[in-house]
Amino acid sequence: MSAERIYRLLLHAYPAEFRAEFGREMELVFRDLCRENDVRTFGFWARVCWDILRSAPALRAAATRTVEGPMKVAAIVTVLVGLFGIQGEVREWVAASRQPVGGTYVLSLALGIAATLLLLAAATAILLGTRKAARLALIVSLVCFVVARVLFPWMGIFVQLVGLGLPVALLIALYWPRKASTLGAA
Amino acid sequence: MSRSPPKQPPPPPESFLPVPPATFHILLALADGELHGYAIMQDVAQRSDGAVRLGPGTLYGALKRLLEARLVEEAGERADEGDERRRYYRLTNLGVAVARAEVHRLDAIVRAARRKKLIGVKPA
Repeated sequence: MSAERIYRLLLHAYPAEFRAEFGREMELVFRDLCRENDVRTFGFWARVCWDILRSAPALRAAATRTVEGPMKVAAIVTVLVGLFGIQGEVREWVAASRQPVGGTYVLSLALGIAATLLLLAAATAILLGTRKAARLALIVSLVCFVVARVLFPWMGIFVQLVGLGLPVALLIALYWPRKASTLGAA
Repeated sequence: MSRSPPKQPPPPPESFLPVPPATFHILLALADGELHGYAIMQDVAQRSDGAVRLGPGTLYGALKRLLEARLVEEAGERADEGDERRRYYRLTNLGVAVARAEVHRLDAIVRAARRKKLIGVKPA
């Protein structure tokens, strides 16, 4: 694997928005560094890793801080609802395994679990400031839930409200235009 | 009749002090004019005799904060001969004012140290 490909992988330590803005420039600078240094030495990679360790956590923390207050609350509520949902689905799965049930029911239950896990992943992504991953997880979660609902139409009204309403509300909030972030001191 | 929103006055330069060392080195490098990322790194390394070596993460992390604070602005992308297109950066008026304010702050510290004979005297 070439040094540039390794560095491109290491860049995933930074928040997605930072990578989108500066990733290409950082790769160009890294290419210049490779030209002027021996990339086969331990010292070179130690300096590269130290630079990432020194800068990435602060940028990740800053990305989390820029998640707006209501969005943060919504993400935390989603995590709690997701954990509650997973617990209920696991209980249902255990109950189903004790008696003969149809394949359709098992499939809808598996899709329900997948939708809840994706909802959890989306909420975590929002809290980490990676909005693109959150959007993708929410869309796939919605698709899983809709298919589960089609396969098992006797789903409770509360489950439907949460399974459909929560991802839709979060998607609307994520696509809503944001205010530019302000910064105190550089 | 449409009215443009009132422009917010820039924050006073003193509100950014003290400037972190890496950030101050970047401001100093850009005081000479527009530079791209690697040129900033080279300038900092040369001026400090290799004592300060900014990695790409430290450099662009600081540049991101400087851009957000409007101390630095992008000066477009262009390619030097035989090279890829690179983004150039330059100081804003606020950036120049902050750099000056930090220099005055450091100068006051150096003068105080000199008065207390911590520097500028030969060790016994």
